[in-house]
Amino acid sequence: MLTAPRTSALRVTVLRQGWLLLRRELAIEKASRETLVTVAPFVGVLVLLGGLAFGPRPAVFAATAPGMVWFAVLVAAVPLAPTVAIAEAADDAWDLLRAVAAPGALLAGKLAAMWLRLLVGWGLATLLVATLFGVPATTAGLAGGVVATLGVAALTVLLGTLLPATTRRPALLAVLLLPASLPALVAGTQTATTGVPAAPWLALLAVFDLLTLTVTWAVFPTLLED
Amino acid sequence: MAVEPGLRPPRVWLRRAVGLGAGVATLAMLILALWVAPPDAVQGQPQRLMYLHVPAAWVAYLAFATVLVASLGYLWRRDLRWDAHAQAAAELGAGLTALTLVLGSLWGRPVWGVWWAWDPRLVSTAVLLLVYVGYLGVRGLSPDRHVNARRAAVIGVLGFVEVPIVHFSVLWWRSLHQPPTVIQPGAPPIAAPMLAALLTGVLAFTLLTGWVFLRRLDQLTARLAPAVPNRPAPAAVDALAAIPVASKTIHVKNGAPR
Repeated sequence: MLTAPRTSALRVTVLRQGWLLLRRELAIEKASRETLVTVAPFVGVLVLLGGLAFGPRPAVFAATAPGMVWFAVLVAAVPLAPTVAIAEAADDAWDLLRAVAAPGALLAGKLAAMWLRLLVGWGLATLLVATLFGVPATTAGLAGGVVATLGVAALTVLLGTLLPATTRRPALLAVLLLPASLPALVAGTQTATTGVPAAPWLALLAVFDLLTLTVTWAVFPTLLED
Repeated sequence: MAVEPGLRPPRVWLRRAVGLGAGVATLAMLILALWVAPPDAVQGQPQRLMYLHVPAAWVAYLAFATVLVASLGYLWRRDLRWDAHAQAAAELGAGLTALTLVLGSLWGRPVWGVWWAWDPRLVSTAVLLLVYVGYLGVRGLSPDRHVNARRAAVIGVLGFVEVPIVHFSVLWWRSLHQPPTVIQPGAPPIAAPMLAALLTGVLAFTLLTGWVFLRRLDQLTARLAPAVPNRPAPAAVDALAAIPVASKTIHVKNGAPR
């Protein structure tokens, strides 16, 4: 005799969908090494050239290192944006994802994956700066990195979904994503600077996160209509 | 007059009234700024650029607030007339922000000794300009007007976040730029003739921008219904007048008279 399966077992919540989408993103990352291929060269070259441009005086390194990290992270976010929708569309997966997943779940999965990618980029930049510039990371700087990358990830997902694959896309991404990430650049740099009180800047980053997450959550379903 | 249902008739009277007001206010501003207001005791004649620089910045804020409201209106109603309001306001806002930067640079050279300083107000204003240039750049990406409008509306909402950052940057960070002079607790620390010139400048810029906004809005809304002209040409009016009343009804199919 057939029995009806339990409703709770069949009900796929938004959270569950988001988790499945994140796992899918991680599986794609494992197979393609997209973050390593895209982010690592950008961050590595920027920090190396920054060291050549600003060095070799330790005082100049100490002053420029925190800003160098965030400059590298933001520049690396631009080539990461196509992983949100353009790469999915190229694989004929975007329409399927939009049809199957709830908008909130799709946003959660994409956002979590982008946050992880940016955290990898930021971690790499921090490590390289600590090694090559001789400026170790501070606890406040680490906290600032975790908080600020979330807001930048939200913006990257938003603009990665919004901008279609055209020749103007890279320029528009740079014009829109980099200025919109200004609070992350300024406050992230300040939290990592020795001798600067971190609390106000961490509060500013929290507001930045709240604002970007709210706007992205509010407009994401609209963007999926394209 | 043949007007597509839902589209407003041309606001000619309003545009003319605003244009007239703008002309009068601009004349008053020029008289007050160039003759009545004295030169600044410290900065001298270059300070007179304030009567253009500050109004341009304020009206740019107003234009971006209009973009925000119109963008929310579009996202709520999906009506392209809201999008036309947003586009007209964004074009003006971007132009006025560029004007603000140029005037500020011209003012900064004799007073600060440099054309540009890495100051929070200057940098955040330049960033604001970039965001709205990006907003205008997003508009032409798709042949579908609603897709363009939807994308632009999202940027229009997001971009407005920069406006309070620009305005409060002089208070939040140590800045070379002077803090707010008029909108502050207590009496404004500015001479009465200077204040009069400044406020008249704000009025003149607001009306002038409103006049250009209405003209641009008429252009943009006319494009929404290209097949049905809002105002018949004079020859067509004469032809209509010659038609007997019983057969005066014009049948419209697929947007074109037949």
